[in-house]
Amino acid sequence: MAPASRQHTKALSELAKRHGLLLVFVLVVVAMLLAKPTFGTYQNIVNVLQQNAVIGIIACGMTFAIILGGFDLSVGSVTALASVVGATLMIDVPTFGIPLGIAGAFASCLLVGAVNGWLIAYAGVNPFVATLGTMTVVRGLIYVATNASPRFGVPYSFTSVGLGYIGGIPVPAIIFAIVAVTLGFVLHKTRFGHYVYAVGGNVVAAAGMGINAFRIRFAVYVLVSACAALSGIILIGQTASATPQAALGYELTAIAAVIVGGASLGGGRGRMIGTIIGVFLLGVVANALNLFGVSAFWQPVATGLILIFAVAADGFSKRGTFVLGK
Amino acid sequence: MTEVLLRADRINKRFGAVVALNDVSLELMAGEVTGLVGDNGAGKSTLVKMFSGVLRPDNGTIRFDGENVDFASPAAARGRGIETVYQDLALVGSMAVWANVYLGRELLTGPAFLNVLDKRRMISNARDMLERFVARVPPVDEPVESLSGGQRQIVAIARAGAWGSKLIIMDEPTAALGVAETRAVEEVIHGLRDRGLTVLVISHNLDQVFRITDRIWVLRRGEVIGSRETGNTRPEEIVAMITGAVPADRLG
Ligand SMILES: Nc1ncnc2c1ncn2[C@@H]1O[C@H](COP(=O)(O)OP(=O)(O)O)[C@@H](O)[C@H]1O
Ligand SMILES: [Mg+2]
Repeated sequence: MAPASRQHTKALSELAKRHGLLLVFVLVVVAMLLAKPTFGTYQNIVNVLQQNAVIGIIACGMTFAIILGGFDLSVGSVTALASVVGATLMIDVPTFGIPLGIAGAFASCLLVGAVNGWLIAYAGVNPFVATLGTMTVVRGLIYVATNASPRFGVPYSFTSVGLGYIGGIPVPAIIFAIVAVTLGFVLHKTRFGHYVYAVGGNVVAAAGMGINAFRIRFAVYVLVSACAALSGIILIGQTASATPQAALGYELTAIAAVIVGGASLGGGRGRMIGTIIGVFLLGVVANALNLFGVSAFWQPVATGLILIFAVAADGFSKRGTFVLGK
Repeated sequence: MTEVLLRADRINKRFGAVVALNDVSLELMAGEVTGLVGDNGAGKSTLVKMFSGVLRPDNGTIRFDGENVDFASPAAARGRGIETVYQDLALVGSMAVWANVYLGRELLTGPAFLNVLDKRRMISNARDMLERFVARVPPVDEPVESLSGGQRQIVAIARAGAWGSKLIIMDEPTAALGVAETRAVEEVIHGLRDRGLTVLVISHNLDQVFRITDRIWVLRRGEVIGSRETGNTRPEEIVAMITGAVPADRLG
């Protein structure tokens, strides 16, 4: 190849490497706009925002855990915990039930986050084992406490959190946006976020330079649980109730969104904007299947294929033979 | 006029039945580059680990910068101004050069409780800091993993030098490097000395030892054979000391 054209190819591949994910996302959106006029309607866009806010908030927290070189399988159970604890307090406590429910949801979830953090950071338990354990234990406790039946009767006013709109935008989407911007700031602009990258990238080097890797790990797992708590509270607002089976499998969808967004399970890599695009890429594809009348059972199939494709494309692009993904 | 920066006095270290160091005494002169040579298993790494806080002597004393020291950890040694450059372990590959130069010492800006990084200042400072020791500064906003092994080593060494350490220890800093990269690392070591830092370097490469050091200490089987000023000896003599063709001439 001539030097100029090689330069050109290199610039293109650099562009694709940096923005490949965004490119794919834009292509999918454009294709959908052309194929299905209903896709671009206000109502459908609102649906997509509404349906992906809960998983999106969890994915924002998960981004920290994955950059740290771990992940958190307990987020689905923790989301359900927040929802059941919060709804129960809101239903059973006559005055100040709502603030109490929110406080109780956060408190119980932060406790689980602290257990995860302690196990992983201080006891040295592998994140897979630790969070698989808490995932199972928490879900089991929820079933025991609720006798596996849902709780109905949350004050109707609380549905404004799950179903309300501000300026035409669903409240959950606004909460998601606030979480994404805040956590994006923490991850990319503050010393804490910087240390998450350092510990995830090379814990020996980070600790060698005096960074307290234990504290960073502990804090990240608490943060992930806090995000799950927020999601659980929104779930209460979407149904005015809580089900013990809520948020089953959310952990894998959130992890998939983060990985599709360009983070690496090896740690040290990933960006908040990637996670957000990852969430909406999976969300838009699910929405597309729905609009085309494809059975909802196909949705996990699509998610799985996108995940595999994203990771494979990333691997290829690193070897320079095939360019896509981030 | 040169004064002693570090004096090790009758250091002993055993690993079970293995006597790694036997009554080792040695001095490092402030502002000099000292080479530590010896055959495999002579005890070089074990000795420098005492200075960098990785190991503690069974007995014997280490005097550094006018005080007796007993480092409980590498952090303690670093706190006193002894920085050790470990190959590959020292840098976070996925992070930019500037982030590695400032790792654990980040500059902040804005309201204190937010701990916002001052990236712009760190990037420009990091470039200046590296320029003090190297002519060709690696790109400071590239991730370390995109640099060659030699450039990484240079970043790690320059970082140690930039943070005002008094003594910089390197165990085989060029073992994994090619010829050109080795020369570049040697240039950085010269840069450290020009700035008044004291350097202790372990090397198997005698040509290199003669190029970069002011003084050479020889260990054999856990004992000090002797030291020579680099300008007053020849490689043949050092080889003889390493292999045992010359009897020990204990100093002091
Ligand atoms: N952690 C250890 N445990 C047991 N023996 C060790 C250990 N470290 C070093 N030794 C032994 O001490 C001796 C000196 O080793 P070392 O200081 O690594 O030598 P050098 O760096 O000069 O090659 C060798 O016999 C080695 O096997
Ligand atoms: Mg050695």
